[in-house]
Amino acid sequence: MARYPTEPLKCWAKAKELRDGFYRDFEQAHDKGGIRCIGSAWALDAVTMGLGGDVYWVTGEPYGASCAYNRSLSAEFMTAAENFGFSRDLCSYMRNYWGSIISNKYPFGGPFPKVDFAYTQHICCSHAKWYQNACELEGSDIPLYVIDVGAGAYPPFEPEMYEHRVRYVADQMLDSIEWMEKVTGRTYNDELFLEACWNDMRTTHTWAKVCMLNRAVPAPLDEKSIYSLYVLGTLQKSRGEFADFYEELLEEVEGRVERGIAAVGNEQARVMTDAQPPWGFLKIYRYLEAWGAVSIGSLYTFGLEGMWLYDEGENDLRPRPMPTERPRSREEACMMLADWHLSKPEYQHFYSPEYKTKMMDAIAKRWMCDGIIMHYNRGCEGLSVGIAENRLGLLKRGNKVMTYEGNMGDEREFDLTATETRFDIFLEGLGLKRPEG
Amino acid sequence: MIEKFQEWYANRHEYQREYKERTGNKIVGYFCTYTPEEIFYAADVLPVRILGSHEPQDVTEPHIFSMFCPFCRDVLAQGLKGKYDYLDGITIGQSCLHLRQTFTSWELHRNPGWSYFLHMPNHVQSKRAIPFLVEEYRLLIKKIEELAGKEITDDDLRQGIDIMNKVRRVMKEIYEFRKKDNPPITGTEAMYMTCAQFFTDAREFLPVAEEVKRGLTARRLDRDQGKRIMLIGSENDDIEYINMIETLGERESVGCTVVVEEHCTTTRYFWDEVDTDIDDPLRAIAERYVLRTPCPSKDWPKRSRLQRILKLAKDFRVDGAIIIQQKFCDPHEADIPFIRRFLEDNGIPTYFLEFDVTVAAGPFAIRTEAFLETLEAEEDLF
Amino acid sequence: MIIAGIDCGAKNTKTVILKEGSIIGKGTTLTGFDQVSAIKGSLDAALKDAGIHARDVDNISGTGAGMEEIKDADLKVNEIKAMAKAANYLFPSARTVTDVGAEMGRAAKIDENGKAVDFAINEKCAAGAGAFIEAMARALEVKLEEMGPMAIQSNKSIPMNAQCAIFAESEVVGLIHGKIPKVDISKAIHDAMASRVVSMIRRIGVNEDIVMIGGCGLNPGFVDSLKNQLEIDKVYIPDDPAFGAALGAAVVLKEEA
Repeated sequence: MARYPTEPLKCWAKAKELRDGFYRDFEQAHDKGGIRCIGSAWALDAVTMGLGGDVYWVTGEPYGASCAYNRSLSAEFMTAAENFGFSRDLCSYMRNYWGSIISNKYPFGGPFPKVDFAYTQHICCSHAKWYQNACELEGSDIPLYVIDVGAGAYPPFEPEMYEHRVRYVADQMLDSIEWMEKVTGRTYNDELFLEACWNDMRTTHTWAKVCMLNRAVPAPLDEKSIYSLYVLGTLQKSRGEFADFYEELLEEVEGRVERGIAAVGNEQARVMTDAQPPWGFLKIYRYLEAWGAVSIGSLYTFGLEGMWLYDEGENDLRPRPMPTERPRSREEACMMLADWHLSKPEYQHFYSPEYKTKMMDAIAKRWMCDGIIMHYNRGCEGLSVGIAENRLGLLKRGNKVMTYEGNMGDEREFDLTATETRFDIFLEGLGLKRPEG
Repeated sequence: MIEKFQEWYANRHEYQREYKERTGNKIVGYFCTYTPEEIFYAADVLPVRILGSHEPQDVTEPHIFSMFCPFCRDVLAQGLKGKYDYLDGITIGQSCLHLRQTFTSWELHRNPGWSYFLHMPNHVQSKRAIPFLVEEYRLLIKKIEELAGKEITDDDLRQGIDIMNKVRRVMKEIYEFRKKDNPPITGTEAMYMTCAQFFTDAREFLPVAEEVKRGLTARRLDRDQGKRIMLIGSENDDIEYINMIETLGERESVGCTVVVEEHCTTTRYFWDEVDTDIDDPLRAIAERYVLRTPCPSKDWPKRSRLQRILKLAKDFRVDGAIIIQQKFCDPHEADIPFIRRFLEDNGIPTYFLEFDVTVAAGPFAIRTEAFLETLEAEEDLF
Repeated sequence: MIIAGIDCGAKNTKTVILKEGSIIGKGTTLTGFDQVSAIKGSLDAALKDAGIHARDVDNISGTGAGMEEIKDADLKVNEIKAMAKAANYLFPSARTVTDVGAEMGRAAKIDENGKAVDFAINEKCAAGAGAFIEAMARALEVKLEEMGPMAIQSNKSIPMNAQCAIFAESEVVGLIHGKIPKVDISKAIHDAMASRVVSMIRRIGVNEDIVMIGGCGLNPGFVDSLKNQLEIDKVYIPDDPAFGAALGAAVVLKEEA
């Protein structure tokens, strides 16, 4: 019962190719004399790029999600982590990651590639501990640098962006450059860093613009596809080919909007979600589609890597404009990048759930959602912080909200049948009809 | 001799209400020991730490997702049930995500009219942490001045430092007695004391503690110390459990005495003093909180707690360590496998218990007893 | 018009016969493994109770965990919708309804038309449903139906944490060894279970009037604990609370027909 024309994304294959290439580069890094680096998807990876064009990354969260997607392998990793003594309720990406090191298996084939150093950031309690333990599990000679970004919320959630807060983050970045020179023995190249810094901002800015296009009815993108696209930003924001790809994607999605191409031909209702899905069960999105519901995205897919600013007066969320000029020095780039990332939407709720509620409400209203589906995700404390208050706040602002409990990376904590029953109840409440058959 | 502390522990609300009436001072509740109490004292505002009640409750479910620790929910329940309606403000020094939700939900639903989230840096091993924290303290001071209606001078800050340092010092002197054979003070008694610090004005706590210290020289306890045990882990003021294991010896063939703990209710809280040789008092306070024995959420990239724990274990001559973890406490969960390996490698047997503040301690008795028996067996080998 | 509403639950299958909007018959059977025969059994019992034949029934409406097995159903109604309608039908002033059955607890916030505007489900933990009391009755070695009446004889409050039925059982064993009277333990068990249910209800908000359906509505000990913890004077419970969802399914069909 298609109401709208639909067609596959032309750049789909390229996204997959870029992703595969990224993991392959990491695996083969040492063959080419390059450097392997690990860290969070929120790490300020641009700073490492001053070491040369041959620094190859793996980021922990998408890596953990990739493990989770392979349910039998994930089960093996979970058991390995538990046998080591790690509690079952810790972050499930982290347990997949540690389990992968302990089992010495790389989900893309072969043994776990030993890394040269870890470079990450910290805002969730688990961030630094993740790599502290990973480095120890790999052998205690692996150096670790962590940048604390828990320096405070960004305006309008704070009256102003105090200079000392930006400087705190920027100074740690500057310190990390000296540290990297020491642990790698390489000389740092500022030009390469400035370029990577600009690419980082280009990637995260362009991604937000892509998400803006999903305000259109019908939505040109559905969240399940968005997952395959946003991931590039989580892999490495500062990688030029990813920034270029997002610009290409933007163009294609603009074309879809102009031509009225829908992601889900049967779009009758629009929903949004909250945080990571249970990665081993992405078919829940197909289930929603069968009912005629398209998930247009979430603060998670929009703002995990995309850069936005919230407008309090308009209750609107808009892409943060690119700086007017490129940074000219190492110091300038560090300050610019620190300020840029401190405004990340997904950093704000670490200080108060109200900030996230406001941004989610703006998405619900501006992207014209009929309902909000929240995943009480037992696998991620960082993005579950304040979730219960978000629910209350969204209800108070007149939204229809449903919740389901699960785990992004540990399938033992997700009940598919019970979740589908909840969807039925909720979607019926939105006025949709149960699909035939 | 510790009756006064027991009374303060049991009747914290009565004390605080009465204190407010008697002194006219304002009271601010805080949730985590990364709150700089010195600055509050400087403003004539009494900082009191809010702990849980250890009772099951059903009021926090709409506010905090159940995968967060029972402690943070228990503490929030105190607020939602109106037990702290006499507070003038609430505050938190940024630490774990769990407890931060207690603060934010309290702020949303039981706001006493003044609340402040202090951005305590996480990267305490970075040289950038202290200057950052000094600036954050300046923002905090402005906000406290609004509450207190007075300006905070450097002399006020020095006064606050003096108040806190004196209590820390007497507590450490009291802990010295626990290094002795057959310590004249039990772990249960010590826990009443350390927690009473949270609930009272340090100036009123101090003379009572001093008196205890004097009394300990002559005090002999008519009990067998049994095994000397160290407790390590997350927030813990589970006096019922400590008392239960310390009285095992009266009923069973093995007994024990808790001689030292590494908890944020005990040594992590009071062990470190502010360095009064530093000229700028604000910087001195910042340095104290950045360099203090860290919560595991801030203990990176180096795991500095290991050496600190080992030193305590050696100084207090422990036979074994019980690792107590608040259920769902992620920062501790990330440290525990490494702490256990490290202690075992250093000849200190460990036993792990996952606690839920609102669950009865009873079932833990048998497990603790079994652990103590293994310590007994190890000695037989030699 | 005669409608049969069938609720195929985890433990029992219940049928209500509605004629022109009034209840004329009810029937129940144990669900067991064979849901199809349980459905037939409860329908037959209800028909007999109403004094009518199967051919007299115009439409069938189904709900419950096993509703897919109600092959003759003209309409399948989700459990939340069914309980919301039942509450509205029985007590039009109802704004909150909770259904506490053998294996599951649910709650819904409803409007004046009996439409659910928010809902919560406790699906993973037996500690918030009837099976919990059953397991604890075994530990105490008393009959299930004695548990509630025992509990209301006690005025003690012993904290017990029903985070998990297994741990709760070891707590109960501890209390038995501690020579705590059974009436007090029974009350502690009911308080613990009610605390789970109340937590769930608080998620959607406590708005009076509050209606309770489901088999646990027959347990006076549980109802008492529930009222105390909700801090309200009255919980509205129909005479046959176990038939609530079956009735709701029938009412939904009647309104949509």
